[in-house]
Amino acid sequence: MTGVVWLLRRLVASVAIIFAVVTLVFILIHVAPGDPCVGSDESARDPAMCPLLIRQFGLDQPLYVQYGRYLLQLLQGNLGYSFSLHRPVRDALAETIPFTLQLAGVALLIDFLVGLGLGIYQALRVNRLPDLVLSNVTLFAYSLPTFWLALVLLLLFAEKVKLFPLGGPSDPVLCPLIDSAYCVADRIWHLVLPALTLGLVGAAGTARFQRAAMLEVAQQDFVRTARAKGLSERRVVLRHQLRNALLSFITRFGLTLPFLLTGAVLIETIFAWPGMGRLAVDAILTRDHALVTATGLIASTVVVSGNFLADILIGIADPRVRVAADEAVPLLPA
Amino acid sequence: MLSAMPRRVRLPFSILVAALVAGAPSACERRGGCTGSYCGTLIDAAVGEPGTLLPTSTEEIVARDIEEQLFLKLADVGMSTNTVGDEDFQPLLAQRWEWDGPLTLVFHLDPRARWQDGQRVTATDVAFTFDAYNDSAVASPYRPQLKRIASVTPRDSLTAVFRFRERYPEMFYDAVYHMRILPAHLLRPVPRDQWKTAPFGRAPVGDGPYRFVRWQAAQSIELVADSTFFLGRPRLRRLIWRFTPDLGVAISQVVADQADIREQVVTPENLERLRAAPQIALYPYRGNVYTFLSFNQRANGDTAKPNPIFADREIRRALSMAVDRASLVRSRLGELGKVPPGPMSSLLWIWDPEIRQLPFDTAQASSILNARGWRDHDGDGIRDRAGQPLAFHILVPTTSVLRKQYARLLQEEYRAIGVRVDIDEVENSVVGQRVGTGHYDTAILSRANDPSPSSGIAQTWTRAGFGGSNFGRYANPEFDRLVDRAIAATSPDDARRLWRSAMDLINADAPAVFLYSLENMAAIHSRVDNVQLRPDSWAALLRGWRIPSSGLIDRDRVER
Repeated sequence: MTGVVWLLRRLVASVAIIFAVVTLVFILIHVAPGDPCVGSDESARDPAMCPLLIRQFGLDQPLYVQYGRYLLQLLQGNLGYSFSLHRPVRDALAETIPFTLQLAGVALLIDFLVGLGLGIYQALRVNRLPDLVLSNVTLFAYSLPTFWLALVLLLLFAEKVKLFPLGGPSDPVLCPLIDSAYCVADRIWHLVLPALTLGLVGAAGTARFQRAAMLEVAQQDFVRTARAKGLSERRVVLRHQLRNALLSFITRFGLTLPFLLTGAVLIETIFAWPGMGRLAVDAILTRDHALVTATGLIASTVVVSGNFLADILIGIADPRVRVAADEAVPLLPA
Repeated sequence: MLSAMPRRVRLPFSILVAALVAGAPSACERRGGCTGSYCGTLIDAAVGEPGTLLPTSTEEIVARDIEEQLFLKLADVGMSTNTVGDEDFQPLLAQRWEWDGPLTLVFHLDPRARWQDGQRVTATDVAFTFDAYNDSAVASPYRPQLKRIASVTPRDSLTAVFRFRERYPEMFYDAVYHMRILPAHLLRPVPRDQWKTAPFGRAPVGDGPYRFVRWQAAQSIELVADSTFFLGRPRLRRLIWRFTPDLGVAISQVVADQADIREQVVTPENLERLRAAPQIALYPYRGNVYTFLSFNQRANGDTAKPNPIFADREIRRALSMAVDRASLVRSRLGELGKVPPGPMSSLLWIWDPEIRQLPFDTAQASSILNARGWRDHDGDGIRDRAGQPLAFHILVPTTSVLRKQYARLLQEEYRAIGVRVDIDEVENSVVGQRVGTGHYDTAILSRANDPSPSSGIAQTWTRAGFGGSNFGRYANPEFDRLVDRAIAATSPDDARRLWRSAMDLINADAPAVFLYSLENMAAIHSRVDNVQLRPDSWAALLRGWRIPSSGLIDRDRVER
């Protein structure tokens, strides 16, 4: 029962956070300097047409009226119209979100598989040559700006060596739509460089994080006890050390989502990946209010959901957290 | 390899490999076989993506390039881009035309013209199109260009009659250049205030040489040749615009043979990269963009007051003479730029190097500033007058690398004559807002010309542009009068003479420093033949381009 209350509390808090983010984004984009009526050469539009467009999209109303109208629309599931894309925001998002999920999902996989593997490997060889080398390599990789790495990979593997395609999610001639296994392979081929860029930098961080967690757990009495019992090293590491070190790994999962989403903004632009990050950047540059707010809504929902999920997973993995949560909930008077 | 895998992983891996292997042959089969003269796929590495493909609402250059293939005009300018009279125009939807008195122009439509849903193109479509472009609910950016046409009416199903409000040399140009004819039977049911977001704009049905196939947001737009096109079957079978937000990546796609054309290379660095690609041929053509440093003649943020520096004609002249425009163009643009002899790109027929311009002369610039009381009284290297330093800001958009470089070079040139310059780099939308409301000292702005000098110059440099795009509020009644007379001149020689006088005058007034006019260079795969680039629209003659059967590569042959 108390677990359900805890869940409900977290759910209400999550919704409140999303609402606050949407409100903040809505206000910021409306008060930010910049003219949504400006064309590509700062002047192309007929000045007489601008007020008309602004009226058509309701941008001449006071901010609180626009906000009230936006919330009403939102409750009806309507995210508004994008005046830069000339289409409903919902349609634009429906096309781009799957691409961001593909990119972030694969990057997350690379991040955690490589990061976890390296972290464990280093922890098992602490202060030996492989650990020292990998520590420096991961520090170096973690320090790399993702946009720089993206440009280097693009130049090297796409333009010079021609091993991978130069941007885009698929071959526009052979696979404009994914309608065969060949096109699935084509999509994976296009995904390699952007996902590697995002994933490798994250993996370097995860490896360092995981190494530290493993070493911390290795100092614990129960690990020493397990060894003293005569358990095999493999069993000590996998059953006792790794399982306990995974708690911090789950926490990192919650922290990684915002990193992936912000990283995706740059990566999607450089690799011409048609995801939500690129959409958000274009929307901000064109002061497309409805689109900016909607991308803020989606991004905050993903991040909050990720953290919510991480909290639940920690609760499942660590009974101490559940007990603490139970104790924090006041009992009803008898 | 499989045996080395853990048992748990073997099964899913085997399924994945089997699926890929099974899929691969079907894809290979599709590569099979278009052969002959009508194959060919052209992939354009496009920077930016259209918002819609409804011609009344589009402003992006890439949208206009695509619409060239989908929707026809009644007629179009020729390679000369001469906009005066009708001699140099080429028939498209209109088979022929005649003048019925000084103010009435009659177009006879080609009876073979069809919409791609099979309906005939009629004079009703022409009248409907004019009405739509003029409807304030549609909010078309081309509406001002049509203001001198009083009406368009159908005389019969294939005859459209244009009536003008007045007589002027570019009547024919106004009648045909700004409007692409739209299908009335498909668009009439759509409320006009919803045109900007109408589904038609994302899946258009046209009457041009190519049919719309698909639009994948932020990825590509694909068109396929209409083999029944009444003016002749296009030689390239498929056109794809592949969108990338970054010019550098677009250039790389062409260099790496993943795209066939980049119509503007913009910087000498890009040009060098393309020159090194063996499969690329380069085609120079005249540019339609010019860039200038605009002096705000009203106080920053208060259009009621004169600017303490730039309201003074002599100071503006001194600041113009302090800039070595030729060296700047040479160092930053090389063969991709020219020094404009006024507010124009080289696309305009009034371009004339003999137009009088202020010389680069720092000594004279200094003596003018000294004479106006701007001297370095306190020895800090910056001129001052009554305790005020001679200093101003240059506003420049963050999105333009070239303009940011120019801002820094100008900063140095002005420092050399004792003028302090600070650079404000802001987003394009903020630049637009600030220049639109007069909140700036100077700004590096760009303008695109259509082939006629009439509308662009009047809108940006005469009093008619106040509140519009004459941001610096330059006003000289004599200049306005000369422009009006040049627009109304009935003979090309008179028009040329009057435009030249107007340009002499504006250069002497120095409302801006006219920095550079971009010269275009298209990088196109060398297998493409019969390439013709019309300066105002590189894609206008695309239907005549071809790839000889001997030059076909894999992507040309792909059947889908």
